[in-house]
Amino acid sequence: MNYPVWEVPVIGGAWVIGIVSIFHVLIAWFAVGGGIYLPVAEAKLYREGKEEWLPVLMKHSRFFLVLTSVLGATSGVGIWFAIGLVQPEATSTLIHNFVFGWAIEWVFFIIELSAAAVYYYTWNRIPRKLHLKVGYLYAVASFLTLVIINGILSFMLTPGQTWLHAAGSGHEATWFWWAFFNPTYFPSLVMRLLACLSLAGIYALVTYSRVEDEALARTKVAMVRWSARWMLPMFVLLPLVLVWFLAMVPAENRGLLQLGMTTIGSGAFTQVTRVAMLTIITSMTIVGVVYFFVYRSPRDFSMSHAVAVLGLAAVATASTEYARETLRKPYVIGAHMYSNGVRKTQVAGYNADGYLTHSTWKPPVNDELVVGKAMFRGQCMSCHTESGYRSMRRLLQARDQKGIDRLLDSLHHPTSDSMYVKYMPPLVGKPDEIAALGRFLSTLSAAPPAPALTSQPKQQARLR
Amino acid sequence: MAIKLDKYVIDRLGLAEIIAVAKKKTVPQHKQSFWYYWGGISLFCFLVQIVTGVLLLLYYRPGPEAYESVRQITYEMHFGWLVRSVHNWSADLFLLSVFVHMFSVFFMKAYRAPREFGWWSGMALLVLGLVFGFSGYLLPMDDLAYFATKVGLEIPNSIPVVGPSIANLIRGGIEVGQFTVQRFFALHAVILPLIFLPLLGLHLWLVQKHGMAVPVSEDEKPVAARKTIPFFPNFIAKDLAMWLITMNVIALLAAVFPWQLGEPADSLKPAPVGIHPEWYFMSQFQTLKIMGRLFPGYAGEAIGMTLFTVGLLLWFLIPFYDIKGKGALRARNATYFGLMVVAILIGTTMWGYLAKN
Repeated sequence: MNYPVWEVPVIGGAWVIGIVSIFHVLIAWFAVGGGIYLPVAEAKLYREGKEEWLPVLMKHSRFFLVLTSVLGATSGVGIWFAIGLVQPEATSTLIHNFVFGWAIEWVFFIIELSAAAVYYYTWNRIPRKLHLKVGYLYAVASFLTLVIINGILSFMLTPGQTWLHAAGSGHEATWFWWAFFNPTYFPSLVMRLLACLSLAGIYALVTYSRVEDEALARTKVAMVRWSARWMLPMFVLLPLVLVWFLAMVPAENRGLLQLGMTTIGSGAFTQVTRVAMLTIITSMTIVGVVYFFVYRSPRDFSMSHAVAVLGLAAVATASTEYARETLRKPYVIGAHMYSNGVRKTQVAGYNADGYLTHSTWKPPVNDELVVGKAMFRGQCMSCHTESGYRSMRRLLQARDQKGIDRLLDSLHHPTSDSMYVKYMPPLVGKPDEIAALGRFLSTLSAAPPAPALTSQPKQQARLR
Repeated sequence: MAIKLDKYVIDRLGLAEIIAVAKKKTVPQHKQSFWYYWGGISLFCFLVQIVTGVLLLLYYRPGPEAYESVRQITYEMHFGWLVRSVHNWSADLFLLSVFVHMFSVFFMKAYRAPREFGWWSGMALLVLGLVFGFSGYLLPMDDLAYFATKVGLEIPNSIPVVGPSIANLIRGGIEVGQFTVQRFFALHAVILPLIFLPLLGLHLWLVQKHGMAVPVSEDEKPVAARKTIPFFPNFIAKDLAMWLITMNVIALLAAVFPWQLGEPADSLKPAPVGIHPEWYFMSQFQTLKIMGRLFPGYAGEAIGMTLFTVGLLLWFLIPFYDIKGKGALRARNATYFGLMVVAILIGTTMWGYLAKN
């Protein structure tokens, strides 16, 4: 624990990242996909002489510029704040490895944002060919931002054996390209690109649905249909690429998807299955809606339809992102750093010397409950809250002190057949620290206090 | 390809005539058209319950093994939890959409001639829906279901003279137990569907026969100024879109809030603290509690029951006293009555939940 802990009540720190990230992804993917969509549509306009498309495309480019450059950019910065506060250890590792990757990405951001502004403000002001070139410049720059960030995000799931061998040596950054082009890099890139292009088609529908001028009725029909056709290849390819992606994910991570098939038992980590199921249902609904209500009835396609499709896309995106993030469990950086920031290589040391011994942020008093709370903040709070999301009060139910100690023991000495080993980091620390954590957790449990277990000498012995 | 397939199916099933009739039929289009979709949403939720109910039937065992079979469905069988959660959430959404549908019909004054039987059949379907909910709630036989049913059966028990006999008949004895589960199961899975389905058929036929009613403001416009859309394919397409949205809402609820199972029912255990009925009975429950406080003893229950009966009768018989062309004052009073009912239902339901916490 090299950094202070940011305690977020009720929703927990993980959801702060989640909320900001999902919002950002919905816009950032539009920034990439829409950046390709706009010049392709513009090129079609010039090639086929569809002059009536021009005012609609201009309107769409304004919507695009405002949304991506204002909300996309600010929420992107928001992610930095959130991950830096909630997962400082992992963020530090990523910065140490990919600092030049991010520097390159920011160069592309600058090109992207400048090109977006030039593109919007120069409609009918510069020669058409040049305007189109600005559009393509934007498309290339925004695609390259995806190329970079995809390397970093996919690294977190599958860092690859080469980088893992170097991890902890202090020379990890030497293996930049191995980490960057990790096993899930290409399927992730293709999958993200297809999702970006799908979202571009959906966002375009929002603009087209607002075309109410009767004189533009035929234009609306043509553009709505064209957007539906634009999305068709993505709908066909996305499931295939998803299979490719899952094939590249380590079997133990893939196995998490099956935990919720048979049960919804509390603490059995079943939510990934349920959320992945949501991705499938909402995606299939989008395909159905786009065919029946967009492609086949373009004239009646209204703003409420468009918002409904966008809402479905938001649920599909959010659930996919949640499932993808959760697939990394019990790690935040696959096979290297656990989700609570403890590195795999540090476990033995922490068990021998004590977890809090290595912490820069030790509790000031040697009170058992204070020590227990510090252990909770350091090792549990990246995923759990006391009484909100993944609430310890709910998960502990009415476990008494013995039950809690048994649970902590099974987390401290995980066996290969333990279900917790699949998604929870091992609990590290010396026996007195773990006992203190147990005492703290018992204050959250609904079990009535058992007098035999609260005898003072026993606890003091544990602390010593 | 799709067009060829359409033609193939239409030709073989002789659907051309039906489509021709459906294309002639129109649906009013105005600012309040949104409310027309709630009947369709209710129907969709009901269809979901039939499908998931049949799937649950494959593994559910009424009687002494009721709890164990639901435990297996929820915690052991592949996607059993999903089927059960979808069944329960769609039941809740069914009742919610029926309530919304009923109030939209009320405020559009769609109970007026010639649609009186549509109103009455709809009311009967709502009552049956509530009985569906009550009977289905006991079937898992966990502690909450057990005590909620026990509390719920106090209502028929409190009817003077015949009450205890009726309650015993429903329970299959003097205590809620395996015989009650057996009876509730027969009611839930056989008797109620047998009554509900023909009544639903009648209700749908009446809607088709008389068409959609329009709000008073729309009714006052000249016919030429009113907008309509074809029933087929336009309205059907929009209705199907609402079904798709409902399906996704149910999936979302089932995935994020799957339906858990409590501890097995134990008649020797004390009732859980703050035990209360499901949300659709909360208003009546809270009203009875309030009456009990205002008028201690039997009087409270009797006054509460009388209020429900009178209110329900007034509601049911509204087509008789709010008749088109019988004066604006009467029509306005009926609207105020509707608003009062909505306010009481929402207010007492919220009061019930706040008092529980």
